[in-house]
Amino acid sequence: MLRYVNLWLSLAKFSLLGELAFRGNFLVKIFVELLWLGILLLFNFTIFEQTTKIADWNIHEFLFFIGCYFAMGGLIETLFMENCNQFADLVRTGDLDFFLLKPIDEQFLVSCRHIDWSCAPNVLLGFGVMGYAYWAGGWGFAPFATIAFCVLFASGAVLAYGFMLLLTSASVWLMRNQSLFEMWWLFTTLMRYPREIFDGNKWASPAGWFFSFVVPIMLVTNVPARVMVKTVEPWLAGFALTAALIVAWVSRRVFRMALQRYRSASS
Amino acid sequence: MMDSLRKYLKILRISLVERLAYRADFFLTTFFRFLPLITTFLLWEAVYDGADKTEIAGFTRDKMIAYLLLVQISRMFSSMPGLSTGIARDIRDGNLKKYLLQPIDMLWYLLSYRGAHKIAYIATTALPYALLFFLFRHVFDLPSNGWTWLAYFASLLLSFIIGFFFEACIGVVGFWFLEVTSLMYIINIINFFVSGQMFPLDLLEQYPYVTRTLDLLPFQYMAYFPAMVFLEKKTDTDLIVGLLIELGWATGLIVLCRWMYRLGLRHYSAYGG
Repeated sequence: MLRYVNLWLSLAKFSLLGELAFRGNFLVKIFVELLWLGILLLFNFTIFEQTTKIADWNIHEFLFFIGCYFAMGGLIETLFMENCNQFADLVRTGDLDFFLLKPIDEQFLVSCRHIDWSCAPNVLLGFGVMGYAYWAGGWGFAPFATIAFCVLFASGAVLAYGFMLLLTSASVWLMRNQSLFEMWWLFTTLMRYPREIFDGNKWASPAGWFFSFVVPIMLVTNVPARVMVKTVEPWLAGFALTAALIVAWVSRRVFRMALQRYRSASS
Repeated sequence: MMDSLRKYLKILRISLVERLAYRADFFLTTFFRFLPLITTFLLWEAVYDGADKTEIAGFTRDKMIAYLLLVQISRMFSSMPGLSTGIARDIRDGNLKKYLLQPIDMLWYLLSYRGAHKIAYIATTALPYALLFFLFRHVFDLPSNGWTWLAYFASLLLSFIIGFFFEACIGVVGFWFLEVTSLMYIINIINFFVSGQMFPLDLLEQYPYVTRTLDLLPFQYMAYFPAMVFLEKKTDTDLIVGLLIELGWATGLIVLCRWMYRLGLRHYSAYGG
């Protein structure tokens, strides 16, 4: 385990050196992310000029939710996105051979080898938005909720990583190699809004239930955000933690199945 | 003239066959593309419920959903994924030579290629989109006269031209900057907001300077304007002026793009390739 931590730290350092070699590009990428956050906030404020509540979430609660979504997205993009995006290319070109020959777990090497530091500020920005929303909402310091938030945020990240790995593995059979980024962006739309927007509509309610309890992508941000600014039933928090473990396990199985299909055709 | 036209029609046909080879990818992407649309509908449902109003910025609940659906049609015509980065890559890698050594013009070639992409995309997604529009048929009032239909199709066609040459202009900037990905990201994010893809620009009506400026820029003609034409919210003078501005941008961008391309070729050193 310690070996992997040391290896990951070395890879993180190596990635950072790579990014800093192109400082201008690094700064532009950070500017792009800032712009995206700005657009999201502008959208949020424009909507709240027309209403006071969205599915029982007031402006501060909703803002906290957006911060949580942005931080989670930033974390996943920093740690895994670029790595997973390259997987289908590694298969197509046969370069995956070099990964399989190394005495390291293949999943670790494929999904964690590069850290995209230009997305790391998103995590801070997301936490900044959450901090502002929490302060503006007038909630007092709640140590238990904060600890629960940290645990559920981490479990949400595991859940999201599991789904990304599943999508990465599926890309070997289904998609062209450039589709993953778009697929992930579209799929994660489901964790961009409170799941209560699905309630009260006879067509959407079953979909909301499906994406909460069968393919629980909605729980990635809903559960941690709720625990801080609303309430979460203990069984739902327990379900989110269990779902994270199950999805992590299933995604590993599917990833290994995808590797077994690999024929090293182009190398 | 006829030979030239036949050449580009052949490119259109070959590209069409190539595109249809990825049917599974098309269907899967289309299914996933519905997700943001569905969540946006539900978000607006929740906004209307929370606002306790029947109209927001002149849009009833049904009209808002109709607008968001129609924007998808606009984007079907005007979005050009990968065009600018592809042009910049060809310039950077030296692959542009292949156009210069053959009796073929890069911009017209790419226009034919994109045309094929659009036809293939529309053909393969017609069924799921037809189903979606059928499910939401109650939100639509079809345009009451033939002129509106004509204006709508003209605005869509012009949105394709604007979308293509707008992105091509950014790609051609690659003659001077080599890497345009970051520039493209920045413009795409701004475009997402100011073209009216997130919500109708009428929601910004309390900032008249902003809406008036946006009227004069090309962005809204790639999403908002065609949808508003269909909904008959642009009529009489507004419609004619809007179409003329759209035509102006389409023509202006063609001229600008061709001028930049010709200027860029003088800079081009054909490295690599």
